[in-house]
Amino acid sequence: CTKEFKELNTNKDGAKFTTPETLLGPAVHDVLKRNLNRCLRLTHELMQVHVTLSDGDEIHRYVIRPQESDYMWNNWYLQLTNIKDIYKGGDAINSKAFMGISLILDAWVSSLITDVYGDVPYFDANKGRDYVLQPRFDKQKDIYQDLFKKLEDANELFKTANAADVEAKMDPIFAGDIAKWRKFGNSLYLRLLLRVSGTGELGAAAKILDIVETRKSNYPIFVSNNDSAILRFQTTAPYLSEFAEYRSIDFQVNNSLSEFFINNLNDWGDPRRDKWASKKENAFIGIPSGYPVGQVPAPQSQYMAALMNEPLLGNIINYPELQFILAECAVKGYISGDAKTYYEAGVTAALSMWGFAVPTGYLTDTSAQWYENDNANQKLHQIMLQKYYTLFFTDFQSWIEYRRTGFPVLPKGFGLQNDGVMPTRLKYPVNVQRVNQQNYLAAVASMGGDDLKTKVWWNK
Amino acid sequence: ASTFAQVSLTKNNAKLETVLAELEKQTGYNFIYNSSMIAKVKNVSLSVKNVTLSEALNKALENQPLDFKLNGNTVVILERSENQKQLRIMGTVVDKDNLAIPNVSVTLKGTKVIELTNSDGKFAINVPNSNAILVFNFLGFEPVEIKVGSQTNLKVVLKENISALNEVVVTALGIKREEKSLGYAVTQVKGEELTDALSNNWTDALTGKVAGLNMIKSGGGPAGSNKIILRGESSLSGDNSALIVVDGVVVSSKISEANGSYLGSENPVDHGNGISDLNPEDIESVSVLKGPGAAALYGSRGANGAIVITTKSGKENQKGLGITFNSNAVFGTINRWPDFQYEYGQGAIGSDQYYSWGATEDGPNTKNTGAAWGPKFDGQEYYQWDPNLLTRGTERTPWVPYKNNRKDFFEVSQTYTNSLSVSGGNAKTTARLSFTNLNNKWIIPNTGYDRNTIALNVSQKVNDKLSIATKLSYNNKYSDNLPSTGYNNQTVMYNIIALTPSADINWYKQYWVPGSEGLSQIRPFANGLDNIYLSVYEMLNKSNRNQLIGTISANYEFTKNLNLMIRSSIDWAAEARSQQKPKDAARFPEGMFRTQDIDQKETNTDFLLNYKHKITRDIEASYSIGGSAMINKYKMVSLSADRLRYPGIYTFANVQDRVESNSRTTEYAVNSLYGMAQFSYKNYLFLDLTGRNDWASVLASEFSNDNVSFFYPSVNLSGLVSEMFELPKAISFFKIRASWSQVGGGGVTPYLTGYNYVSRALYSSGMANPTFIANEDLKNELSTTLEFGTDLRMFKGRLGIDATYYRSNIKNQILNVPLDRATGYNYSVMNSGLVQNKGVELALNGVPLKSSKGLNWDVSVTFAANRNKIISLADSVDNYVMQTGPRGSMEARVGGRMGDLYGLGYSRSPDGQIIYNSQGYPVITEEAFYLGRATPDFNWGITNSFRYRQWRLKVLVDGQYGAVAYSHTHVAASVAGKLTNSLPGRYTGIIGKGVQRNPDGTFRPNDVVAEQVGTYYNEHFKGDNVEANTFSTDFIKLRELRLDYTLPAKLMKKIRFQKAVIGVYGRDLFVWSDWPAYDPEFGTLGNSDIQRGFEVAQFPSTRNFGVNLSFTF
Repeated sequence: CTKEFKELNTNKDGAKFTTPETLLGPAVHDVLKRNLNRCLRLTHELMQVHVTLSDGDEIHRYVIRPQESDYMWNNWYLQLTNIKDIYKGGDAINSKAFMGISLILDAWVSSLITDVYGDVPYFDANKGRDYVLQPRFDKQKDIYQDLFKKLEDANELFKTANAADVEAKMDPIFAGDIAKWRKFGNSLYLRLLLRVSGTGELGAAAKILDIVETRKSNYPIFVSNNDSAILRFQTTAPYLSEFAEYRSIDFQVNNSLSEFFINNLNDWGDPRRDKWASKKENAFIGIPSGYPVGQVPAPQSQYMAALMNEPLLGNIINYPELQFILAECAVKGYISGDAKTYYEAGVTAALSMWGFAVPTGYLTDTSAQWYENDNANQKLHQIMLQKYYTLFFTDFQSWIEYRRTGFPVLPKGFGLQNDGVMPTRLKYPVNVQRVNQQNYLAAVASMGGDDLKTKVWWNK
Repeated sequence: ASTFAQVSLTKNNAKLETVLAELEKQTGYNFIYNSSMIAKVKNVSLSVKNVTLSEALNKALENQPLDFKLNGNTVVILERSENQKQLRIMGTVVDKDNLAIPNVSVTLKGTKVIELTNSDGKFAINVPNSNAILVFNFLGFEPVEIKVGSQTNLKVVLKENISALNEVVVTALGIKREEKSLGYAVTQVKGEELTDALSNNWTDALTGKVAGLNMIKSGGGPAGSNKIILRGESSLSGDNSALIVVDGVVVSSKISEANGSYLGSENPVDHGNGISDLNPEDIESVSVLKGPGAAALYGSRGANGAIVITTKSGKENQKGLGITFNSNAVFGTINRWPDFQYEYGQGAIGSDQYYSWGATEDGPNTKNTGAAWGPKFDGQEYYQWDPNLLTRGTERTPWVPYKNNRKDFFEVSQTYTNSLSVSGGNAKTTARLSFTNLNNKWIIPNTGYDRNTIALNVSQKVNDKLSIATKLSYNNKYSDNLPSTGYNNQTVMYNIIALTPSADINWYKQYWVPGSEGLSQIRPFANGLDNIYLSVYEMLNKSNRNQLIGTISANYEFTKNLNLMIRSSIDWAAEARSQQKPKDAARFPEGMFRTQDIDQKETNTDFLLNYKHKITRDIEASYSIGGSAMINKYKMVSLSADRLRYPGIYTFANVQDRVESNSRTTEYAVNSLYGMAQFSYKNYLFLDLTGRNDWASVLASEFSNDNVSFFYPSVNLSGLVSEMFELPKAISFFKIRASWSQVGGGGVTPYLTGYNYVSRALYSSGMANPTFIANEDLKNELSTTLEFGTDLRMFKGRLGIDATYYRSNIKNQILNVPLDRATGYNYSVMNSGLVQNKGVELALNGVPLKSSKGLNWDVSVTFAANRNKIISLADSVDNYVMQTGPRGSMEARVGGRMGDLYGLGYSRSPDGQIIYNSQGYPVITEEAFYLGRATPDFNWGITNSFRYRQWRLKVLVDGQYGAVAYSHTHVAASVAGKLTNSLPGRYTGIIGKGVQRNPDGTFRPNDVVAEQVGTYYNEHFKGDNVEANTFSTDFIKLRELRLDYTLPAKLMKKIRFQKAVIGVYGRDLFVWSDWPAYDPEFGTLGNSDIQRGFEVAQFPSTRNFGVNLSFTF
């Protein structure tokens, strides 16, 4: 009766085994699309890039309902399964390149998860296949320590990796250039080190110095825009932007750019606004964020429709951001380099990344000008303001950086909720509270709460 | 010698002359005949003992062209003339109360000669001789056979079949059983009840007629899929719909619309399914086997009950040609509307001081909104859209409402069904061939479908032992456009909600910009919306489906007691679907073309060996052993091009990018062996035992077949108390029944036992890990049902009560247990969960009025209540999200019921009043809470039938009580100020009914005026406030009304018809309900299911009027 059942119950459309390169493109693309989805919904609302034109959406008022938490948690962890599987596959076929790639992407996605939620499952995570169905939550500090180890390992692996392992067409970010992967890993390393450096723990500042100066030949980092880790979206499938199939109503019609976002660009005469913002009656005009219920402003400048297919929105971490990271490190004395040089290199690269030369006077006659006499805080504000624009449509980075530094200083609308406090994290998803309850409760106790004002470790 | 002389005679193949000579000798009568006449006739064989001469002569002359006359002592043998051959027998048929019964069929046994009694119960029939036997048949009476003998004027008394003692119903595996012997509830619905008030999906006709049957209707367009639930849902993740079996063929009820209904990239289209495409004209009867006890022999898929359909076949020895012609026309108009307001025109919140199409001297542009918070219609004039200029008018025009703008968009739906069938049969062969054509135009312009069905049933007795039967039905369903359902740009209902009171529907009729046909559409108002006519004339969903349902069976009778049935059957459907969108559509602005080719096939081969015998004089037994091998295959190949190069060309040659292709295949098999034993004691006590073992491929893993086999038994007991004991005279029939049964199942989803990387076909060599954790140790589910029932008939059948109580548990459910995604997976497949259903079903039949000439009145009532309880879920889970709506969710929580709805709602003070914030707007909770459940507490139906001579009037009213649902139509229309609920407070502001929180934590009545009335209603009715948008779905519907007239038999005879009926009917004529959208009785199509709980821009429901003609000749 059962002779052919084993054969019959074998999936005809899938495969029992695969090799690591097949997982790479779909996984990275998925993460980037999800990031963009929530960047539009959450990051850009919170960070006053745009403001919704509806009273129904209250993110700009710092109202983030519990159900907002599920989307990223779910999708990040799902893709981590694929990303970690690339390591296993790389190990199996003895490809150090894929093992390194996996570690870097793992560090990137894992850092996003912990930066957004705080203490999260990490060492037990993605082990469902081994029947670890209720993963323990780990302390953010322990997670970061391990992320640094992964990036350290990745750097080592790439030293001896076989450049031919990665086929160009299977790698949507660097087209198989593993030297760039290595720079990506180390640049990401710097982002994460700087993020935790304020805690004074894990030797972050010392490590930054080690990478940037002491042993810099051992840690290649981005040296130009060309090195940036960007999955440049295409206009043909599969590597379409998240927004490629949006209705314009979902992308640009139901919201309008904020005063804060537009006014700085106007101050600087920043040419990027031509690619980012539409004109209203021949001018770039923003609207206030955090407006009270019932006072929805009339729309002014809005996103340009072309952004829906913009290749640069596939940004993971770019060269200008690295320059601003280095500028901050210099200001803080972690490294010996010149902050102004880094800052100006950052601005120049940020503009040229979008295809613009720095307009005459941009760095000398506008508020974008670097004042050596400013105090460290003022300098940091200057850096962070420019960095904010470089992080345009980059997952949750501008919000995470705001939480870390308090910059750029954002105006506060009268309609703000949450006691006017920028949310410091997202709550744990409701589903997690139910299906992983004990570990959830332990994590809440350990972290000191589960609300929008609970601070994560590096933010304390 | 006398006429009564006794003769005895035995002759074999003797000359007639010899026989006559012998008779002459025995009786001494004189025989007169012409020798040459006698010589021509056949030889005679007869054997009689002590019979009259007449009888002996009748035997001898049987089948000879001769007759005889007795005249004194003389017997004259003469040639039979046409008239002389026949005896004319007259008579009257009455019931016990001596009331005449019309339309009784009077058949001359062994021939095709049939007559019907007239309205006085009288009949006349020609018989060859006095030995003829007449058979009297009438539904509800026991058949009577009468030998004519010497009488020429018969009075026949028919005994009412009060107890339905011999009523035969079709049970599992198509086995015909006497209803009295069954230990479980079965409801039989006759074919004509399905065609009395025909709708596009014949299963609609089961509503209200079967206690315990719940219909979830997608209302998703002309094809309108239904999901039939018997006795409530019990499977948490599986399909809960009843198994549908047609002549032994399991017909697919798969809903393959995988898209979600709410703002996805594409919306589901209701293509119908295998069941909805059955042709009701071909259905003889439908048996509804409600519990698993009834359906145990269907195996796991019968766990949700089964609907067993028998199609019509030719009748043995049928009279006449047997041609039946049926013509049916139905027209539908919308029966219910939301309360749309036509007092204020287009305008965003706060734009109520003026209107301006584009910026004018009156002020900035206000036309880019789908909302109606604009100025009141007060006789003023504004700059508005000019349909001739296709832009703003040059002059101000009157600011007026277009009150029929929504109504005028819809058309009267028209469905014409014509069917012709020919049937006939002799003693050995019966056959029926039918052809049916259905043509439908639906209420939305440019939608509808055609269906043609050919059905052939042939059965042949090859010899005394072997008979062979074939039933084949082929249908083709074709549509040029089926509407997209749900809430999304391209759906009609999205646009109907978005239409503002100040917009004329005629302004949309021209939808291409002149000179840019195919490239750019005319959008008179908001740019985000698609032109409604563009969506119906250019965004097309096509479908062409071919379905073959066939079965071939052979039956061999070894002896009278031993027979073997072997059968092979197939349900095979091939369907080609396509979707196309033009350029400039809001979604897919570059145009789109997609196709799906679906091939689904299920074959089943089974045998059944039956043996019956009498153990003692009182105990009869029958045993059966059967087995079946079923295999089910589904394959879908889809191609899509989401950006086209040139406008208006929908082929894969015209794509901008590459064509994406995907293929999905599933296969599974179930092999089974089963046996049953039935015992009857004195024909009043019946015991059934069944056992079945299944081997299900879906439980096989790469490593083992350990779990594929499982066994489950059932015991059914039925006792006829009225036969066992002397009961009061008022009780004519009293049966009690009990049943305990188990059904195991592995589900119908294959590939849950192995870890499989899935293809990401869009990417070169793209793969991904699966999103669930497979379970190599997956085991079968098991449902256990206990059922008690009684069937009581009183007052000579004038009152009947059938009551059932049941309790079922389904445990070890194959569940997709949700996980913390930190595990890297969405869910894990596990055996867990225990769900209990308890309920009662009642069916009452009464005959308040009865007379042969006067008025007859029959009443039947059905009532069913089901209580569901989640007893446990998986260890780690106390909550299982069954579906999510646009907002809110349907969750199974331990202790709760399936169908419970949760969502955000009003923040309330301790005494339950709505809290308003400092601006006067209501406050919404942070946490979701329980809001009611989507499954009703009970359903009921009442049918009244009146018969007066040739007239018949039937009225069915039904309803449901106790359920709620979320209405997205209400959300979308309310927040845009489209409903009358948004009228109070315009221009003046409003103080909401509720409280304000004082600084000290106490509350005072709300005293804050909400200035912005649009915002006020938005805060009340925004989607997030699930509570405010959840409404009772209680309803009472005038479901069916039919009046028909059967042409009298006399007239029939003249025009050589056997039967002619003319009927007019209505369906869903009136609906009483508080539901704010169109139809409280809805399901939402999407996610491969039809789900209740969340209404997502439903289509209007229709009031249908039909005319039906039926002729048999």
